Amino acid sequence: MTFPMPQIDPDLDLVLEREIDVPVELVWKVWTTPEHLVHWFVPKPWTVTACTIDLRPGGAFNTTMRSPEGEEFPGSGCYLDVVPNERLIFTDTLLPGFRPAPAPFFTAGLFLTPTDSGTRYKAIALHGDAAARQRHEEMGFHDGWGTVVGQMVDYIKAM
Amino acid sequence: MSKVQPDAPIAAQPAMIDGIFRALADPTRRDVLERLSDHPASVSELAAPHTMALPSFLEHLKILEGCGLVSSRKVGRVRTYSLAPDRLRLAEDWLGTQRRLWEGRLDRMDAYLLKLNKEESA
Repeated sequence: MTFPMPQIDPDLDLVLEREIDVPVELVWKVWTTPEHLVHWFVPKPWTVTACTIDLRPGGAFNTTMRSPEGEEFPGSGCYLDVVPNERLIFTDTLLPGFRPAPAPFFTAGLFLTPTDSGTRYKAIALHGDAAARQRHEEMGFHDGWGTVVGQMVDYIKAM
Repeated sequence: MSKVQPDAPIAAQPAMIDGIFRALADPTRRDVLERLSDHPASVSELAAPHTMALPSFLEHLKILEGCGLVSSRKVGRVRTYSLAPDRLRLAEDWLGTQRRLWEGRLDRMDAYLLKLNKEESA
């Protein structure tokens, strides 16, 4: 079964696109394996102290982010669409097992396309209204998501 | 940035005023203050904990708390932020002082011009 592609609405959504010089298979691997994901998923000096990945629609995608001061922020969501090496869609609007989340915020998509030199990497964040989009942008979407792409590429090259 | 103690004397130190205006010069931080003016809120109410933008956002909260505009309290695993309105009053006082100064100057200029005018036509 194939799922529809999310349609980007510039008033509601945020997009980050990069050309990176690492292959799609490795990008997929570090996005979908907890022992790899913890090394790059949050901007340093923050760390990921716990990560659960159940890679199927409705399966858990949980991460706990830890601040440099030692405070922990658990986040929970689930996958919606999983097409290896191609696209990964997850959300925090549904908890694992499709239960509606108490504080829904966004749905994210990762789209990978092989290129001559590596991967075209596209990350999108879909929001329910313009206020949530703006809040995410002001929170630091481009800075945060951009920083971790760099960290991810460095991590893959050092693997 | 210097950390301002919550019980620091209310006599405004220049560094305090600097910190407050620096904190206010950012739309994300002003938005947080507006949202907290309604009621105190936890980090997860203010931000989504599952996005890579969270660390940048927490920096904004740290800056607000560092200059004393908000305070936070941790109960169990939840940290709740609330507005500390006294600190905002320092900025208001500073602006008020400037306003009174300029109003005074303009009033005196006004009176002087009226006097000149009277002398000229005399």
